[in-house]
Amino acid sequence: MSSIPWPFPSPRGLVSSVKARANTRVQTWARKRQGTDPDTTTLGSGRVYILPTGVGLIFGLMVFAMLLGSMNYNNNLAFVLTFFLIGLGFVAMHQCQRNLVGLELTFAGADSVFAGQSIRFRVAVTNQSKSARYGIRLYAPDTQSDVHDLRPGESKVFILPVPTDKRGRVSLQRFGVRTLFPFELFRSWAWLHMNINGLVYPAPSDNAPQPPPTMVAHGHRQHDARGEEDFAGLRKYHDGDSPRHVAWKAYARTGQLLSKQFAGADTSSQWFDFNEIASFDVETRLSILTRWIVDADRTLEDYGLRVPGGEFAPAHGERHRRQCLETLALFDGGTT
Amino acid sequence: MVKPRGTDGSLLSSLPWTLTALVFSLAPHVPFIPIWITAAFLGCAAWRYVIEKQRRALPGTWVRAVLALGCFLGVLATYGGISGVGPGSALLAIMAALKLLETRKRRDQFVLLFLSIFLVMSSLLREQYLWSLPYMLLSILVVMTAWLRMSAGKSQTARQSFATGGRLLMYAAPLAIVMWVFFPRISTPFWAVPIDTSRAMSGLSDTMSPGDISELSMSDEVAFRVSFDDAIPEPRDRYWRGLVLTRFNGRTWSGREPSISRFAQDQIEIIGERVDYEVTLEPTQQQWIFALDIPYTWSLSKTFMGPQQQLARSIPIDQRISYSATSYTDYRVQTDLSRQYQIWYTDLPDGSNPRTAELAREMYTAAGSDRAFVNAVLEKLNQEEYYYTLEPPPLGSNPVDRFLFETRRGFCEHYASAFSVMLRSVGIPTRIVLGYHGGELNPMGGHLIVRQSDAHAWTEIWIEGLGWHRVDPTAAVAPERIEMSASDAAFDGIGATWGLTAPSRLLHQLTLTWDALNTKWNEWILGYGPDTQNSFMQWLGMNEPSWRKMLLTLVGLVIGIIMLISTVMMIRYRPPAKDEAAIQYQRFVKKTGLDPQTGETPRVFALRVQASGSMPTPTVETITEAYMVARYGPGGDAAFERLKQAVGAIA
Repeated sequence: MSSIPWPFPSPRGLVSSVKARANTRVQTWARKRQGTDPDTTTLGSGRVYILPTGVGLIFGLMVFAMLLGSMNYNNNLAFVLTFFLIGLGFVAMHQCQRNLVGLELTFAGADSVFAGQSIRFRVAVTNQSKSARYGIRLYAPDTQSDVHDLRPGESKVFILPVPTDKRGRVSLQRFGVRTLFPFELFRSWAWLHMNINGLVYPAPSDNAPQPPPTMVAHGHRQHDARGEEDFAGLRKYHDGDSPRHVAWKAYARTGQLLSKQFAGADTSSQWFDFNEIASFDVETRLSILTRWIVDADRTLEDYGLRVPGGEFAPAHGERHRRQCLETLALFDGGTT
Repeated sequence: MVKPRGTDGSLLSSLPWTLTALVFSLAPHVPFIPIWITAAFLGCAAWRYVIEKQRRALPGTWVRAVLALGCFLGVLATYGGISGVGPGSALLAIMAALKLLETRKRRDQFVLLFLSIFLVMSSLLREQYLWSLPYMLLSILVVMTAWLRMSAGKSQTARQSFATGGRLLMYAAPLAIVMWVFFPRISTPFWAVPIDTSRAMSGLSDTMSPGDISELSMSDEVAFRVSFDDAIPEPRDRYWRGLVLTRFNGRTWSGREPSISRFAQDQIEIIGERVDYEVTLEPTQQQWIFALDIPYTWSLSKTFMGPQQQLARSIPIDQRISYSATSYTDYRVQTDLSRQYQIWYTDLPDGSNPRTAELAREMYTAAGSDRAFVNAVLEKLNQEEYYYTLEPPPLGSNPVDRFLFETRRGFCEHYASAFSVMLRSVGIPTRIVLGYHGGELNPMGGHLIVRQSDAHAWTEIWIEGLGWHRVDPTAAVAPERIEMSASDAAFDGIGATWGLTAPSRLLHQLTLTWDALNTKWNEWILGYGPDTQNSFMQWLGMNEPSWRKMLLTLVGLVIGIIMLISTVMMIRYRPPAKDEAAIQYQRFVKKTGLDPQTGETPRVFALRVQASGSMPTPTVETITEAYMVARYGPGGDAAFERLKQAVGAIA
């Protein structure tokens, strides 16, 4: 079916666009009003907003109908019921706001992820009061955390998973904390503008070319009287290690195959060079480098990274991996 | 489109509470709705619970549609309509039952809870007993608990939900009370209130046809209750004036539609002491307002005095109302009656009850004067064989003749009618008053209970110079000649035979106590209408109460209470108080001018202070030692005192 262009926006579209525009306005205003929040922020009552929910509006209509009925029948018990419900509405409103006021929110970091994965921002929420708080949830555009209850004095880490699509630094301009407790008649919420960000590595390429060949550096053999090399440490066994070098005692003790490393032994290392895969575009090259690094790290090979504006000598380990991936994540074209 | 109908047990924590809430709100309806509706509801509830428990699928659309149609037709067939409290609550119950069968999500449960609130509401429209209030509060508490089960996080236990619901309800209570007291009551309904015909009101009829209905109901139902400001009048003065009948067509006495008379009150000449009292009148669906003979002032809106000093309201009394009034038991009314009215008040249809008329004329000739004649007639009723009975034989076409000369059995209406006809036959103006006589004194509440069985008819005769004068011909029939109803006699007999006098007296006491409570309840809670509210506002000190003033007061008080509640909540959510010792220590820290580092213990900090030389070493040592003991060690109180002293010394 061909769609005929309609010159007017559909009513639903109009409503949602008006809603979106109003939302942006209010958020900008809140941002201006509140400024940037420190990493640990306690919610003051001035920044906790509240509005009735759909259920709340229906409840209001119902109570209004009941009030008319009570007046018509001049039924004093019906009046009691109606006024109790109205009173409960007022109480629920205050309870709902109080459920948030005084909460302490602390940004607790985010683990770096590869592009395409969700980066999980962690926010610790602490209930610094003598009463429990129920049904707390964090939310940001397109995402929300689970709902948690906080006992008096309790602190829980809420996780906001934010989907990523490209490498680089992602920041969470704004996130909110909200609650519907006690009766879902009201939604009370607060916006926070903390300096929250995390790093997204390039996505490891799925069809990367073979990594460059391994170069073996021969160590100088230092023959002493007994012809032994200097013992330098242990590392995980991998294929090709001489059985002579396996630390059998350690294996008996821990059940893990470890190889003895000797100073001056042969070391194999790879150089992953940005400029050597020039046939691809920049992002693809970064992706390929990422794939190589991830694979090399898995096999505990030493690897070095060379990109315009940065060079990391061959090594391995968590720190090395992070440094390399961070460099790739923040790569800006090598303008040095 | 096929919707998934499976259940996953996710409602298991809240569904039982929702069901409980529904059962609570349905329970008061059970005696009034057809039994099959209750059965259908319970069936659906059990069915739904099993479905959730065993994670089965909900019944299909067709099953539900057939069920819905069947139930709706069932209600139509039972009630013949769907408007009114009866069919309305039956429909609500059915809606709840059927909604249960399609409840999959939280949203559906909200609908169920709203339905259960409506059920509570409609039960209140049906009956408002003393226990209805606590029961209603309990129902609301259960509904709120169910609600919290649904909307609070997973960690809240059912008991916590119940406690939270109760706490919120307690917060709401002062708001509800203030709104209830100050919300302006209006007397005119917006739309016609359908009268529940299943509970027909018993009361006085507007006409009186002695002999047509051959049996008077001895209903124990309360007509009204009266509390007196001062002494309660003597039993012989307890005549409660209702409506006045002036026309007789030979069979039936009738009055006029209630109409206002500007002169009626002026015609009353008061003599004795005033009697102030308050009446709580049960709904009658009629316009008559009952007051002690003879009413002089009254405080009820839209109420006026008719030409025969009867009180009436311009709208039917369709709910319980309270009003205060002042009466005078010693009075004269209309000592001056025009010739025209004298003829009107002696009018009789030609040729009816001929024997009575003839007898009256004979007796009048013998007596010689009006007064002597009246006495002679009363004497005749007293001396001759007339019996008071509630079950008299029916009378024919000339009922007065037949009663006076043949059956000689009747109750107040027969005597009043016969007496009036005899007097009218000789030209003495008469009219018949319908109302109540007597009333049982409730010693607990200090009030009179006037029941339907106290309904009475008496006569007023007009005598030159004396005005309208009350004569009760029934009283002339001596008490020892009153023939009691057979069932009453039988009841007394059984009680005596089985020695039940004492327990039944205790029972009677309990009944009276219950009635006393009920009176207060009716008077202050149910009878709180425009008039009571007005006087209560004045008692509170509001000048010329108006709905505007009341609403303003209401808004002001509600805002005040909300602020109070907000403060209470703030206190509940406030962070735990800082340790007193820590506060003192902080003062010391401030004095040193150094910042403690994260993870630095007081002892390490003390070393740093000593190194900086900003404070004498003994002082630093004393404070640090006292603080450590006050906070963590035994004997904290003494250490705290030392800490306070030391810090005080440097500050």
